[in-house]
Amino acid sequence: MGEYQSARLDEVFNALCDPTRRAILARLTDSDARVTEVASAFPISLNSTSKHIRMLERAGLVRRTIAGRDHVLSLNAAPLAEAQVWIEQYRRFWEGRLAALEHYVTNKRRKRK
Amino acid sequence: MNAALASAAVVVRRTIAASAEELFDAWLDPEALATWMRPGTIRSTVAKVEPREGGSYEITMFGQAGPIVHKGVYRRIDRPRRLVFTWASPGTELRDTLVTVDFLPVDRLTEVIVTHEQLPESARLSHSNGWTRGLEHLDQACTQGLLKRTPRSQQNSI
Repeated sequence: MGEYQSARLDEVFNALCDPTRRAILARLTDSDARVTEVASAFPISLNSTSKHIRMLERAGLVRRTIAGRDHVLSLNAAPLAEAQVWIEQYRRFWEGRLAALEHYVTNKRRKRK
Repeated sequence: MNAALASAAVVVRRTIAASAEELFDAWLDPEALATWMRPGTIRSTVAKVEPREGGSYEITMFGQAGPIVHKGVYRRIDRPRRLVFTWASPGTELRDTLVTVDFLPVDRLTEVIVTHEQLPESARLSHSNGWTRGLEHLDQACTQGLLKRTPRSQQNSI
């Protein structure tokens, strides 16, 4: 996985680690929707809904089509290809564990001295 | 969609200033596992191991969202060169995956190489409602802290 893709994936994960943004994606799995429709479905302001939507757009998970006054949102599932998510999740997990393993053996050695 | 997932493998390496024996043993000792098998948001880990080929292990991580059980069977215990075990957890949809850990001595250091791969017989995932299920898994991964960016210092400080 190249640097670019990996940075992009960070954006995807950051975008996904928020319940409101996940709820917006879940809404868009049903059908495309106007920004105002999405906003009215959540008990938060249009302004903060817009911020969440922009994060999802930056991560490439949501696409916006402008038709006159209507801003229509649609889902783009490609960045979330399951294999990529699985790999990234476990890459982080094992990197963290090996760092902790190093910490563990180093500490143990220090105690022995 | 899952030809890609079936062949998905993660390889992570780290060179550590310790002997291969010392590092190898930390994978099979319940007390050691309880210390280092504890990702960011996990409060405590309890490990039970039967350290023989064919023996099983169970690593339970207690997080905010409740206990997360990881279990499997040791397929190969070749101290201090190679350890192979199956790994099933909510993150693998409880299906067996395969973890191979190689310990390569490099001067006075040891390179630890973890290869985590899907097994062909278990890579068949249900996709009746892939998106929603995917989002549920992500929710769990987020609460476990697996997907959050964790500063290096924090990762090390367990």
